[in-house]
Amino acid sequence: MSTPMSPLIHLVDDDAAVRDSLALLIGTVGLRVSPWADPLAFLAGFDRDAIGAVVLDVRMPGLGGLALLERLRAEGVDQPVVMLTGHGTVDLCRRAFKSGAAEFLEKPVDDELLLETLQNAVRAHVRSRQRHQADRQSRERYALLSEREREVLALIVGGLTNKEAGRALGLSPRTVETHRAHLFEKLGTDSLAQLIRQYAEIAEGGAP
Amino acid sequence: MGLADRPPPRLLLPLLALALLLSVAGAVWLARAALAEQRAAFETDARIAHRLLSQQAVQHDAILATLALLQAGGPAELTPEQRLPSVYPQVLRVLRRERNGDWPGGPSEIGTLRQAEAASRQAGRAALAMVDLGAGRYTLVRAAEPASFALQIDVAAMVPRSEWPIAADGPVSVHLLHGTQQRVLQPAQGRPATWAFDFGKPLAAESQPFELQLRGGAGWQQLPWGAMAAWALAVFALLTTAALWQGQRADRRRALELLRLGQVGRLNALGELAAGMAHELNQPLTAVLANVQAAQRLLADEPPELDTARGAMAQAVQQARRAGDVVGRLRRVVARPELGARLQPVRLADVARAALDLLAPDCRRLGVTPVLAGADATTVMAEPVALEQIVHNLLSNALQALAQVPVAERQLLLSVAAQAGQGVLAVRDSGPGIAPEVLPRLFEPFFSTRPGGLGLGLSLCETLAAGMGGALGAQPAPPRGAEFRLALPLAVEGVS
Repeated sequence: MSTPMSPLIHLVDDDAAVRDSLALLIGTVGLRVSPWADPLAFLAGFDRDAIGAVVLDVRMPGLGGLALLERLRAEGVDQPVVMLTGHGTVDLCRRAFKSGAAEFLEKPVDDELLLETLQNAVRAHVRSRQRHQADRQSRERYALLSEREREVLALIVGGLTNKEAGRALGLSPRTVETHRAHLFEKLGTDSLAQLIRQYAEIAEGGAP
Repeated sequence: MGLADRPPPRLLLPLLALALLLSVAGAVWLARAALAEQRAAFETDARIAHRLLSQQAVQHDAILATLALLQAGGPAELTPEQRLPSVYPQVLRVLRRERNGDWPGGPSEIGTLRQAEAASRQAGRAALAMVDLGAGRYTLVRAAEPASFALQIDVAAMVPRSEWPIAADGPVSVHLLHGTQQRVLQPAQGRPATWAFDFGKPLAAESQPFELQLRGGAGWQQLPWGAMAAWALAVFALLTTAALWQGQRADRRRALELLRLGQVGRLNALGELAAGMAHELNQPLTAVLANVQAAQRLLADEPPELDTARGAMAQAVQQARRAGDVVGRLRRVVARPELGARLQPVRLADVARAALDLLAPDCRRLGVTPVLAGADATTVMAEPVALEQIVHNLLSNALQALAQVPVAERQLLLSVAAQAGQGVLAVRDSGPGIAPEVLPRLFEPFFSTRPGGLGLGLSLCETLAAGMGGALGAQPAPPRGAEFRLALPLAVEGVS
């Protein structure tokens, strides 16, 4: 669930000076920063629900940035991850992107580049969360429909008129009209276009 | 010297076994071939002997047939057949029975002759009588009208000596057999054979079906000992040469490997150092940049956040100092490899020769004949492995330079000299030379004129030379080419 607060950037770097300075820099654009010195502590304790992004140093004692990135992906964490490294080889870069890194930056990093990257990452995260939420809502509403209403929905989404749908289902156009009014109400939509946009995929997948 | 010791002869035993195996196999093959040849010769002789004796036997038939056809009348003593023995040495006597008469001789003789005559009449060809191979005699009877004839044959005289293929003093024995009787036509001479050859066949004359048997063979002394020994000698010589060559190659490979390992080790250490240095410097630099840029942003705020900006600037200063410390620490680590402790007297010419020896295959491939000149005894204080590496590097570079000019113009001159308390080894090539703008940067780390070159070879050489209290320099070598001069302090007792 999104919090009312501003996006949260998790910053994982074992070097205190780097951590503090980057936290200060990121804070200047109004993003909240949660600094972590220990990758394992971060993995155990960070807020997975918050909107935001993760910044990982590649070279850290204990658990390296790449290994940490793989752990996050395996866990299904959806925050975008930005990798930071002192000497980025092509190979390292390729491995990072393969493991799902959103961006790969070299130290020392310029403020504009870092901040823009983080803001893009946050925007992408917000969008992906919204998409997920809308999706979940649609499914919940769809679950409220009766068997007959789902059949009618599938035909409407398929582009059939009430008369054609009635013929296909062996119902009078009038009855179809009633079902149609019910399902519009249950799904919380008032236009055919919105109905099709939100439910076409579900209806086609769920229709008998 | 750092040259490898010869590897232990663990290959010797299998090699020896292989040589023995090859020698024995070759010798057996040669012996078998020789024996097969002798057997073939024996069989040819035996067939010739069989044909000759068969011809003789058939001749007896022919004589009797001719007598029967041409028989003349008149008293027996006037008949021409009595002259036959003078023409045919094996015919001892010709017997004749007139139509109304009887065979000459004693009663038992007459009996057998009569029997044989009857058999002859029945078979329509000559028949045997009174065969006594032990005594070397037999009689051949032919029934005819009006008179019948018989030939008494001397078996020993049947052998036509002039055409006979089997040497009288040879190892081959010849027998004639009839039932249980046998006659030795020719005994074998010398020792009994180790490998026996046999031949047996009845004579090709129906009337005289005697079995001809020849027995010969070959002994140890007939084997081709000379060829066999030559083969074994050749095998051993070949394998010895191969083993020596292989050993030399292995030595060379090992020595090259050691040199290369030393270099790779040093390069690896350098690479590690560079990676570590990058990280150590990057951390404070990252902090400096982030702090300064954060301060800029804070100062640009309306109103400016002065206290926070001040704190960020203080942090930046501290981190810049940290970066300075890292560089200082690095300089102390790299400053001087501790070569000083391992210095020992080394003859420059020896090192040059060893390095040339290692690079001999490359020299041959490039058609370069290196020349080594100067004061052979010049001895310097050096760490042998480091010195070897420097010389190897200089020679490799020279060869690479020479590869760029036509074969006829390739010259490589090494000279050793003692000058002003220093031993100097000069390596001079007639390659393309060093461009004037490159010369000042030649010993810089990571500077290379070769595509893909690391640019560490000469830099490393210079560091090593300096570590031993010496110097490495380069200069053009007119008319064309480059000369590298390695100078090292002379060893006290080495001044000649």
